[in-house]
Amino acid sequence: MLLTGAQIVMECLLEQGVDTVFGYPGGAVLNIYDALYEYRDRINHVRTAHEQGASHAADGYARSTGKTGVCIATSGPGATNLVTGIATAYMDSVPLVAITGNVNLNLLGLDSFQEVDITGITMPITKHNYIVKDINDLADTLREAFQIAGSGRKGPVLVDIPKDITAQTCEYERKMPLPPLPHDFPIEDRFRQALEMIARAERPFLYCGGGVISSEAEEELRVFAKRLDAPVACSLMCQGGFDQADPRYMGMLGMHGTNTAALAIKNCDLFVAVGTRFSDRVLCNAGLFARHCPIIQIEIDTAEFNKNIEVQLKVKGDAKEVLERFNRLLPQQSHPQWMEQVDAWKKEFPLRQEPKTPNGVTPQQVIETLDRLTDDDALICTEVGQNQMWAAQFYTYRKPRTFISSGGLGTMGFGLGAAIGAKIANPQKTVVNIAGDGSFHMNCAELATAAAYHVPIVELILNNEVLGMVRQWQKLFYENRFSQTDVDPTTNFPALAEAFGLKAYTIETADQVEPVLREALSQNGPVLIDCRIDPDINVLPMVPAGASVESPILEMDN
Amino acid sequence: MEYTNSNPSPVKEYILSVLARNRAGVLLRIAGLFSRRCYNILSIVAAQTEDTEYSRILIVVSGDDRIVRQVDKQLSKLIDIVQVDVLEREKIVEREHLLLKVERTLQTSEKLVEIANIFHANILNVEPDSMILELTGDAGTINSFIELYNPYNVLRILRTGAMAMPK
Repeated sequence: MLLTGAQIVMECLLEQGVDTVFGYPGGAVLNIYDALYEYRDRINHVRTAHEQGASHAADGYARSTGKTGVCIATSGPGATNLVTGIATAYMDSVPLVAITGNVNLNLLGLDSFQEVDITGITMPITKHNYIVKDINDLADTLREAFQIAGSGRKGPVLVDIPKDITAQTCEYERKMPLPPLPHDFPIEDRFRQALEMIARAERPFLYCGGGVISSEAEEELRVFAKRLDAPVACSLMCQGGFDQADPRYMGMLGMHGTNTAALAIKNCDLFVAVGTRFSDRVLCNAGLFARHCPIIQIEIDTAEFNKNIEVQLKVKGDAKEVLERFNRLLPQQSHPQWMEQVDAWKKEFPLRQEPKTPNGVTPQQVIETLDRLTDDDALICTEVGQNQMWAAQFYTYRKPRTFISSGGLGTMGFGLGAAIGAKIANPQKTVVNIAGDGSFHMNCAELATAAAYHVPIVELILNNEVLGMVRQWQKLFYENRFSQTDVDPTTNFPALAEAFGLKAYTIETADQVEPVLREALSQNGPVLIDCRIDPDINVLPMVPAGASVESPILEMDN
Repeated sequence: MEYTNSNPSPVKEYILSVLARNRAGVLLRIAGLFSRRCYNILSIVAAQTEDTEYSRILIVVSGDDRIVRQVDKQLSKLIDIVQVDVLEREKIVEREHLLLKVERTLQTSEKLVEIANIFHANILNVEPDSMILELTGDAGTINSFIELYNPYNVLRILRTGAMAMPK
């Protein structure tokens, strides 16, 4: 059938099973938005306050469902406003398709109004990108974009479409989505070698990254951990990939990991890593990371082998497939003494925050209360900084895709948009965005989106009136010279929320935490909580720059 | 037992032969990858292959063994790249093309021609005060050729970068 380019875009979205997209209209995408109007009964479009919000919403949609998120923006500034969101998705391997409009073909390259070379700009932050210069290529390009975004190590793909391509017509024929691109499976010998190393090990350490969640390997991981009889630590990206209520769980590993994980890595004799790229936030000092024991790395992206750290056995492949195979080959291991030792460390070094004033509120109290009041399916989004680390430390994530956070890029302003996307994808689940006052300020305009579309999320601001994480570094390494981190705040968050049409609450004392959270969670609309906390509560443990992950700081004076 | 990171192998030159889909921007994708991952390109030669759908790109990189393996794997991840081969110098024929302009005086003229003859280089142009020579050879030959002309005031050098083909 003969369709316009814009209609072909809609049909290709439907081919992929896309029913929700996030975006913002503009001149170069007028035809696409006209088609969205025509297809409005089949494709739900959510207009955010800013294109960046749309990119984070599509990302939150993808992280919470495993489906590929879609965002749309116009040319020029619309496209560049997506950049932070695309880079965020790229660093955390989130499947995303970004569709941008561009100026007419004959205006390309002439510095035309709202023209920008968005394929050039996004080349380093996409798995691949396209500019479509022939309408006959449009449908296949979009199909390939979805195929690439969702294959292997997932990630964002951008398709730039000049305006006249969206107006031209060509024959369109509906097709099935392309199968995922093939990926490697380990050679049999690697399993044999791994089994030998495991058999020799008396104190194995199992460490998991985001690959567990993106390959949906949580069940295989649960079985494998039991079979290996090892304690388990997870990266920030794997929060929820392993049940944190399981006694094997030690907490996070890395810069703000638990002391138990630090002691375990110091004492282990085999380190098994699944679906992880050994980010510098985990390695800390790479030269001092697990140097006394061999490392087995299971990873789908072979470029991650020996990139940040040299490993002794590389097992390339999808975490789910590889663990499944291990679970069939690996006999039950038994390390009761080691497990008891780890358990003793867990009891000796729990995470604990003390209020700085009588009846003062600690993030630990807020987040643990939130944990009690929400079920295992609740989705917890975060911003970036102290709020993010506390959200990871104090909430017990029991299922994959329940923790949504910008790990690799560390994008302040990510959480609110992501929470909106996650809630729209999961209307039946509770969605809370744990924010800091700094991150909230960055993209607070997205409260307008939550209000306009009646998206019942809870925006929980842990408000310490400072940029806490940077300030913490200034305390440790810059002699309390609080450069630009403690600018006197003047924003009245509850009043701001009310202006956007949200219900707002304030928590100032410890005894208000539970009743306010309870009430906020029971509302059938978006709400904001301004939760006042002391500016001098730090994220601990902390591994200072250059130090070994085995020796975190456990206490700070101020 | 200590599992230290193995000592890096010595830095040397590697030749990568890259088969890529002949699509707009593919060279930019490769160059961008090298730049953002801090790999060094010493030379790059690109042209269509016998099949116009594909380009063959020869890249000479400098680095240790680990870097070159990283380059290989990162390049292989680019969607438009079909295949990456790290060529072994013993198993290839390698050619590079050089144009060299050197100062010429009455005293040096004969000497300049003599060197050219030793290398079977072509004399493309002779002016009263300069001379342009052309040579094709592997990197080693080209380097010694340039070295021999260096005392005579080399005015300009153009090198294409290495082309290489497995035997």
